[in-house]
Amino acid sequence: MEALRRPSTIAFFVLLAIAAVMPLALGQAKFPQWLEVALGGLLTGVLYSLVAIGLVLIFKASGVFNFAQGSMVLFAALTLVRLAEKMPLALAIVVTLLVMIALAWAIERWVLRPLVNQDGIVLFMATLGIAYFLDGFGQAVWGSDIYTLHVGMPKEPKIILESVFDGGVLVDMEDFVAAIIAAVLVAALTLFFQKTSTGRALRAVADDHQAAQSIGIPLNRIWVIVWSVAGLVALVAGIVWGSKLGVQFSLSQVALKALPVVILGGFTSIPGAIVGGLLIGLGEKLSEVYLGPFFGGGIEAWFAYVLALVFLLFRPEGLFGEKIIDRV
Amino acid sequence: MPVVDGTPDTFPKLLLHHAQRLAHAPAIREKYLGIWQSWTWSQVRDEVRYLAAGLAAAGVQPGMHVAVIGANRPRLYWSIIAAQSLGAIPVPFYEDAIAQEMVYVFRDAEIAFAIVEDQEQADKLLEILPQCPALKHIWYDEARGLRKYNHPELAPYEALRESGIARSRDEPGAFEAAIANGAPSDTAIMMYTSGTTGHPKGVVLSHDNLVLSSRAYADLEQLTPAEEVLAYLPMAWIGQNLFSYAQWMVVGFRINCPESAETVMTDMREIGPTYYFAPPRVLEGLLTQVTIRMEDASWVKRRMFRYFMDLARRVGARLLDGRRVNAAHRALYALGGLLVYAPLKNALGMSRVRVAYTAGEAIGPDLFVFYRSLGINLKQLYGSTETSVMVCVQPNGEVKPDTVGPPMKGVEIRVLDSGEIVLRCPGLFRAYYKNDDATREAKDAEGWFHTGDAGFFDGSGHLKIIDRARDVGKLSDGTLFAPKYLENKLKFFPYIKEAVAFGHGRGEATAMVNIDVEAVGDWAERRGIAYSGYTDLAAKPQVAELLRDCVGRVNADLANDAKLAGSQIHRFVVLHKELDADDGELTRTRKVRRGFIAEKYATIVDALYSGVDRCAVEAQVRFEDGRAGVVRAELTVHPAPTHAAQALAA
Amino acid sequence: MNLRELEPGTADRELGATILAVEGVSLAFGGVKALTDVSFEVREGEIRAIIGPNGAGKSSMLNVINGVYRPHAGKISFRGETRTHMDPRHSAKLGIARTFQSLALFKGMSVLDNILAGRSLMMKSNLLLQALRLGPALREEIEHRKRVEEIIDFLEIPHVRKTPVGRLPYGLQKRVDLGRALAAEPRVLLLDEPMAGMNMEEKQDMSRFILDVNEEFGTTIVLIEHDMGVVMDLSDRVVVLDYGRKIADGTPEEVRASQAVIDAYLGVKH
Repeated sequence: MEALRRPSTIAFFVLLAIAAVMPLALGQAKFPQWLEVALGGLLTGVLYSLVAIGLVLIFKASGVFNFAQGSMVLFAALTLVRLAEKMPLALAIVVTLLVMIALAWAIERWVLRPLVNQDGIVLFMATLGIAYFLDGFGQAVWGSDIYTLHVGMPKEPKIILESVFDGGVLVDMEDFVAAIIAAVLVAALTLFFQKTSTGRALRAVADDHQAAQSIGIPLNRIWVIVWSVAGLVALVAGIVWGSKLGVQFSLSQVALKALPVVILGGFTSIPGAIVGGLLIGLGEKLSEVYLGPFFGGGIEAWFAYVLALVFLLFRPEGLFGEKIIDRV
Repeated sequence: MPVVDGTPDTFPKLLLHHAQRLAHAPAIREKYLGIWQSWTWSQVRDEVRYLAAGLAAAGVQPGMHVAVIGANRPRLYWSIIAAQSLGAIPVPFYEDAIAQEMVYVFRDAEIAFAIVEDQEQADKLLEILPQCPALKHIWYDEARGLRKYNHPELAPYEALRESGIARSRDEPGAFEAAIANGAPSDTAIMMYTSGTTGHPKGVVLSHDNLVLSSRAYADLEQLTPAEEVLAYLPMAWIGQNLFSYAQWMVVGFRINCPESAETVMTDMREIGPTYYFAPPRVLEGLLTQVTIRMEDASWVKRRMFRYFMDLARRVGARLLDGRRVNAAHRALYALGGLLVYAPLKNALGMSRVRVAYTAGEAIGPDLFVFYRSLGINLKQLYGSTETSVMVCVQPNGEVKPDTVGPPMKGVEIRVLDSGEIVLRCPGLFRAYYKNDDATREAKDAEGWFHTGDAGFFDGSGHLKIIDRARDVGKLSDGTLFAPKYLENKLKFFPYIKEAVAFGHGRGEATAMVNIDVEAVGDWAERRGIAYSGYTDLAAKPQVAELLRDCVGRVNADLANDAKLAGSQIHRFVVLHKELDADDGELTRTRKVRRGFIAEKYATIVDALYSGVDRCAVEAQVRFEDGRAGVVRAELTVHPAPTHAAQALAA
Repeated sequence: MNLRELEPGTADRELGATILAVEGVSLAFGGVKALTDVSFEVREGEIRAIIGPNGAGKSSMLNVINGVYRPHAGKISFRGETRTHMDPRHSAKLGIARTFQSLALFKGMSVLDNILAGRSLMMKSNLLLQALRLGPALREEIEHRKRVEEIIDFLEIPHVRKTPVGRLPYGLQKRVDLGRALAAEPRVLLLDEPMAGMNMEEKQDMSRFILDVNEEFGTTIVLIEHDMGVVMDLSDRVVVLDYGRKIADGTPEEVRASQAVIDAYLGVKH
């Protein structure tokens, strides 16, 4: 975590913290209400992080920026919601996961393998194609209505800390459960990467493709695994988003927020994706509520992109990414 | 049948005693293949039993010498006890000794049996085999690289063990019988002291010597079988033998052998020793690493480190001594403990250290106070191979940076008119092996041992050592000249690794210094000074300036002492090569051989006194692979700032 | 200094049967001929060096052996199986491991993980068991770890076990590269300039390790090197290439005495 010790990083976090507590300092908000907004923002951020993790995984292992990650979320959610109509939920989840694995296999076989050793931009265009294909194919097969997904997540908001603050703090339990699910997923992924030989092989491939190949690590199989894991992450994201917003086409658009998240966090860093997601979730909610009145609202829609733009200008490698050094 | 009668008074009897009483307690651990492997006391006893039987089968008789050569490995420890069980005498060697240095000892002690760690050591013995016809058996612990050797003398440790297992089946009880035969007055071990001149001398130490010395320390510090000790120093050093072997056997605690010399710090962190022994050199190395790490840390950490270390220097040692400290400082120190001292102690592997000793050479006051201010109970002691290390030790609560404490119980000390310290103590050696002249010279008719050290008692009855008695000389005007005292003062600066002072019979004192490549290199990098290696760095004018300042500060310090003010250092040179034991310039324990150096670098000494400001030199060096080469350089003679004697002015 | 002489009893060695043979191999890139009709064989248990001036085709030869390049003519036999070309994964499976002249280590991973990765081909248990760290997968992992620890001990790098490889000095990285190749427990080890860019001391350490690998594990070693001194000390037999052709083949003494070799190294015009 050397990147964290750089003065610009420290300065960024200090500024951010000051900006976040500004409404309190100016007396614009009372603490319990501010806490409510902040918690809501952080919990939304968890969802951004989930999509961003999928992006980072694939980028690290195959150097491909997967534009289709959002579409994979939508596709997974659609598949799940329609299958759940015909079978028990648990079975539907398993079948959906198998579908995502099959998708990963197909992408490796028909997209990545033929395009091996092509430029990054070519592969990026290919994922654009995958995105359009998935959006179209998903809706053609499963229909384009808005479906509601019931996976048993608690719907009622809860009031906590009533004894501490007058009136307590209102928390959306659904978001809270989503955060727990996301944390479990991240922990599981970390264990998988650090403690299993397949995880080690994945890291090896992410580190140096050529060296990995020369010691007998099969690149093609690794790609299938990575895309499958990305599929799993998409499925989890689809479940929590879908049950919150309903399964609909706009899911793949919301997932676009993952782009500024990885710009913020760094393309090659899972912790970066998590922190980036949380920061953007927090930032856009706080600015919407406390700055919104001055701008006439709608900040939530562009906040993330403006922040990403600032990062592209001053810190293109993101908060946690490896410093980009042009090799001579 | 009781295996042990009464209080066990020899090491093998102690082993049997622990194997009975602490049968399932781990006695020794070794990190191997990344995992700590351990052996209980009863397992150690069994291993020693097989080994002793194997040695007996190979012809080891009571009174014979058995060489033990290598790093701290369980099997080498077992070899020492196994030899002792048979009444034979183990002779440990420094593992980094070059082959030719071993010849003298092998011939002097007529060694026929050797147990060695690995190929490196076996190669050395094979090399000197023609010069040491008595040497008949070499057993090696690690077979790597040795499998295809076909020397009849060479055999794996396993073979020795196998033959021992067979023999102990045929002769059950032989092991216990041999041990029961052992008397406390028997020779337990022979340790060769390199000395600064002439051949090494074999110091004959009895079981009594080492057991009594060990008990004295154990009683003083109330050591228990629960102590955890890291066995990492050379086995041929008396300090290592007393603290990691003799006391291990006497107290029955646990020793831990590190994975390799490079992993000592990590291994120490994992083990968390409670009882620790380190020569100043090691403590200094640790501090240097900490300092370098702190220089690279973020400024927040650096500021915090500086602030709290400053606080610790002011109040830490006082707290440790149980003296009064005001409440605000107490609170701040506690906060510092949380933020700095505890993490630092953890990084050093000293979180659990209850008692730590340092000895072997003088320790710099800054260095000493650094550890104490962290709350680590580091104490100095004084002793030598000949005294089984038992002479003086600093008691808790009476620790001063510049003395070695009062005499231990049972030790008598006198200071002769010449300033030399003579003493009688229970740990006093029997004799120098086959060297009656030397024995008579060191031990007079009434049993007083002439230490060769010069010193005096301070007002509170603590002994203060200033130099080797032989080395204390006089400048031509009669001023006292204690070279070691000057050298140590110089070496207390992190930038100076070695120093050699001259002045006896001369008008003024002068010095040669070796820079510490790591510390000065770091200093240079911070200032953007590029250098290619030691020689280049040592010749930099900026480095000379840095050292001029150090020497000036030593002079200022000397000026405060009426007796020593006249021996301020007037000129110095920065040597073009590092002094090295392989070139004979240092002893294996890294003490400077002043006489040898004066002779070897006569041209430099001349230059220091002839008023020239440059001199050309060349020196023979020996590379690690054994080849010899020549280093040539031109050195600059630097004048150093001197000060008027403060004591006279006052 | 001749390392072999330091090890008494190792000077006269009996060589085993042929394990690897290259017959009439030719290779060209566009119009440039890299190798022309090169044949030689490697016997089981020997240290076989391929030397030659820069651009002589040494690296090409190594790449043909482990299948990175496809020769245009000729055959390669390994353990009795003859084929016209190899491919890298297949050769790894057959028991040919290699190190790289320009290091290709996983810089961000620890020494331990790098060497463990070298055993990728031997990892059998399936993904699900691994993920759950169950039964056979766990046992397998422990066994792999043990082997890898032995290699770490062998190469004397326990102090950097957990250090990311990118932070190690060059000489140690070379050792890790050797360790990763050893982890695959190869029959034949191809070393591509194992001592390039090293100082004298590092070269001696590396020579010692190569000899020890050969002796302790019985691994057959094919090494490319342009430092003649090192090669002559280490090798049982030497092939000399010049402009893609074999100009000498024999013991170090024979090769040293060969006029063609002397000419090639002194740069006599053809």
